[in-house]
Amino acid sequence: MENEELKKILNRLQIPEPGDVAKDKAIKSALAEFRLQAEKNKNRFKGFEWLDRLISKKPKGGFFMNRTIAITTAGIAVSVIAFAIVYSPIMVSQRARKVAPDKNLEAAYSAKSVESGTEIQKNQEQPRITEKKPAVANTGIDLPADQIKSPALTEEAVLKAIDTGKMEQTPSSEELQVILNEQARLQLAKGKAYDSAKQVSPSSAKVGSPVTVQSEVPKKGMMTTEKVQEKPALNEFTLKELRDTSQNAAENRQKVPMAMNNISGKDIDATGNNSEEFTLYEIAVTPVPKAGVISRNEGGRAMINPEYVGRDKFEDIKTNAVKLVSEEPVSTFSIDVDTASYAFVRRALNNGYLPQADSVRIEELLNYFDYDYPLPKDQSAPFKPIVAVFPTPWNPDTKLLHIGIKGYDIVPEKKPRANLVFLVDVSGSMESDDKLPLLKNSLRMFVDTLKADDTVAIVAYSGSAATVLERTKGADKAKILSAIDQLHAGGSTAGGEGIRTAYSLAEAGMDTKGVNRVILATDGDFNVGITDAEALKDFVERKRKSGIYLSVLGFGQGNYNDALMQKLAQNGNGNAAYIDNLNEARKVLVDEAASTLFTIAKDVKIQVEFNPSMVSEYRLIGYETRLLNREDFKNDNVDAGDIGSGHSVTAIYEITPKGSKGQLIDDLRYDSKKNSESVKTKGDSSEYAFLKIRYKLPEETSSREITTSIDRGTEYKKISDAPADSRFAAAVAAFGQLLRGDSHINQFTYDDVLNLAHGSIKDDSFGYQTEFLNLVRLAKTASPMGDR
Amino acid sequence: MINDSDMELVDLAIGGDERSFETLIEKHYLSVYQLSFKWCRVKEDAEEITQEVFIKLGRKLNTFNRKSSFRTWLYRIVINTAKDYTRKNSISRLYESVFAEEQSNEKNDDPPTDPIDAQQVYDAIDTLPDKQKAALMLVMTEGLNHKEAATILHCSETTVSWRIHQARKALKNIFNVWCDNGK
Repeated sequence: MENEELKKILNRLQIPEPGDVAKDKAIKSALAEFRLQAEKNKNRFKGFEWLDRLISKKPKGGFFMNRTIAITTAGIAVSVIAFAIVYSPIMVSQRARKVAPDKNLEAAYSAKSVESGTEIQKNQEQPRITEKKPAVANTGIDLPADQIKSPALTEEAVLKAIDTGKMEQTPSSEELQVILNEQARLQLAKGKAYDSAKQVSPSSAKVGSPVTVQSEVPKKGMMTTEKVQEKPALNEFTLKELRDTSQNAAENRQKVPMAMNNISGKDIDATGNNSEEFTLYEIAVTPVPKAGVISRNEGGRAMINPEYVGRDKFEDIKTNAVKLVSEEPVSTFSIDVDTASYAFVRRALNNGYLPQADSVRIEELLNYFDYDYPLPKDQSAPFKPIVAVFPTPWNPDTKLLHIGIKGYDIVPEKKPRANLVFLVDVSGSMESDDKLPLLKNSLRMFVDTLKADDTVAIVAYSGSAATVLERTKGADKAKILSAIDQLHAGGSTAGGEGIRTAYSLAEAGMDTKGVNRVILATDGDFNVGITDAEALKDFVERKRKSGIYLSVLGFGQGNYNDALMQKLAQNGNGNAAYIDNLNEARKVLVDEAASTLFTIAKDVKIQVEFNPSMVSEYRLIGYETRLLNREDFKNDNVDAGDIGSGHSVTAIYEITPKGSKGQLIDDLRYDSKKNSESVKTKGDSSEYAFLKIRYKLPEETSSREITTSIDRGTEYKKISDAPADSRFAAAVAAFGQLLRGDSHINQFTYDDVLNLAHGSIKDDSFGYQTEFLNLVRLAKTASPMGDR
Repeated sequence: MINDSDMELVDLAIGGDERSFETLIEKHYLSVYQLSFKWCRVKEDAEEITQEVFIKLGRKLNTFNRKSSFRTWLYRIVINTAKDYTRKNSISRLYESVFAEEQSNEKNDDPPTDPIDAQQVYDAIDTLPDKQKAALMLVMTEGLNHKEAATILHCSETTVSWRIHQARKALKNIFNVWCDNGK
């Protein structure tokens, strides 16, 4: 009775409905974690997972319904892996690299495996190689010979070496034994009905001497135990052939879609100068999978990489249209020094997929790089524009107009005092390695750069906001560091409340001569407190007027609300950066700390007026979210982007010269002006356009203006004559447009981007430009698969 | 709550299928949230606990060993997460006191008005040790039997019974009224 009574009372509790936003966030965070985990698992030695899946009771999906085939294939996988280890992998990868023609999709596919693989390994990311082709994956990539010194010869070490793709040269027979035994053990441990043993004859497992790797399944004895080699449908490849295979993987896959041929190794070996003889089984048993589609193939029963479904939120971007100079001669936009998009693109590509088109903001790609623009001499004219006109690499009939601005660089001694409040998201979703731990490391680096009289405070927000560190002088580094150490994830995301707390701290320490800034570090949404994006935006904007600016550092993926972060940063006179690794953190917080923190000019707007007698059409590449109305230019109340110390800003127009056949819009038949020559040109008729830059100095409320004309004197007849910076910027712009699937880019390919960029790299001491080249290569190999 | 299809979804999800994983969350979201709410009785906290539960699920799903039903396993995550959460929270509340004026009254507004003191009973349950609280809640509000609760709490059935007995005794002391009603 009493129990029932108690139950009744307890069940009377009124439980409010859970909020949709919270639920959505929970699902997103969980999915992000799930994905991360899947990635991690994939990074582990693929063989195990493979075997595991193949021998599991219910083979999922259509390809391996037949158990025999499944077992056979498992054997094949082991053999190929063993081969990979025995034979020095360099040759294979080199050969494969040499070939890598991009004429057809298949070859590009195999080239990707080789090229991107090594890159990706560095980042501990999962290359988008489907498990159906471990022959390529495991030979060329997993075992670059030059990476590690000498792992101890323990089972664990060997496995770990395989795991991380680092294995010194050729392993000895013992190592092989260990590996194979481990695999056998793993299967046995699974307690599956079938047991298989893989053995290598230890005496023969030396490079240079004949080696036979056998795959066996339990039936009748063939060579070692009482087990027979699983029968007919196997490929036997010689070493030579395997090399051919990796080159012509594509062809092979097409030729041998579901069947496996039996090719005897010895006849072909006659010409080969290597005497190794392998019994190898190529896994090219399935048609080339279109990566990313597989997961959908069998009604959601995925067995390959789950496709990355972007749950990250981006604002829709509509690519700027081509404008007719006679109708709209003036183009106006606000500058933007954010770089978040570049880091996001990099992350996607390093993971092996193309970024969502809307995550690619070309202006942010352009502004990621440090161009060698001339520096202004003093602070009174905070920047100096450069202009260049040169032929468009992707269109012979148009020209590019490159505008570059570099902000006055404050010499460190003169840096104003900084009053900073870090607002750190410590909600449960920040727990993964690429979020809070990365942020903490970034902050530690940043603390080193603080001056003694700077002040720092840290507010952590989760279920509620808490001040982890009261305002502390930069001199007291130990105290700051220990506060950073105390940050740990857990709690919900009362971002709105956190922002209020952070601002009140910043206000308390307000230094009218210094830099007052709240730096928000988060992985996504605010779901408690001010949840309304507009209200939050207004709040930030109000505070901006009181002199406290906001910068946003974004972390993690899967739940990242880029649109909101951008809005907040733009309204808070700040910039948004996306931090995907410690290097990026260093770039943003340490190398560019000055520019991220010290504004030298605010509300910087650019207006370009084109000369209709020289230019018929123009198109601004990027800056879609930053366009302003023509009349906004002179209106000092209209907010625009800020330039920090040392920032550079780059904008590129594609212009169609008058009379060029590249004109996209036909002249009007009834254009009254055309015949009457009534187009009045104030300026020189050799001018392409007239550039106006309007800005306010940080402490001023009225604008100043810098103007310059863009005439034939700034033109370069050939692309190769143009300054390296211009060429590189053009390459970046082309890359961005390719990623966005922009139609204006014509037949330009990733290879063309590579060529263009390659020739224009100079003085790349931080390696950012080289990294760009790698990204283009990654994009090239990810693009045939077309997944985003 | 039927375990068969749970297992199927779990299998698919372990195989890497995101959609199955999402379905799994959708399916259990409400029950996880409700248990979390009963544990802490603050909507936002319950939502946060629920979120953490599913994040953990995403991280640990492939360690699910099928020895118990998925629901049982999930309950264990919920109980552990909820315990951790309230523990952590009690620390962060120290910080909060510093910013009491900022905090306003968000936290304490929420409890819904309740005719016959369920709220009070829950408040009383809050004073019990976590172990007793967990056992009592699983059995009394989630309707599990002692055996299931034992699996979830990693203890023997008799321990569960003992904890519930202890809990009831403690509650009786708080609500003498019950003694009268019960006997």
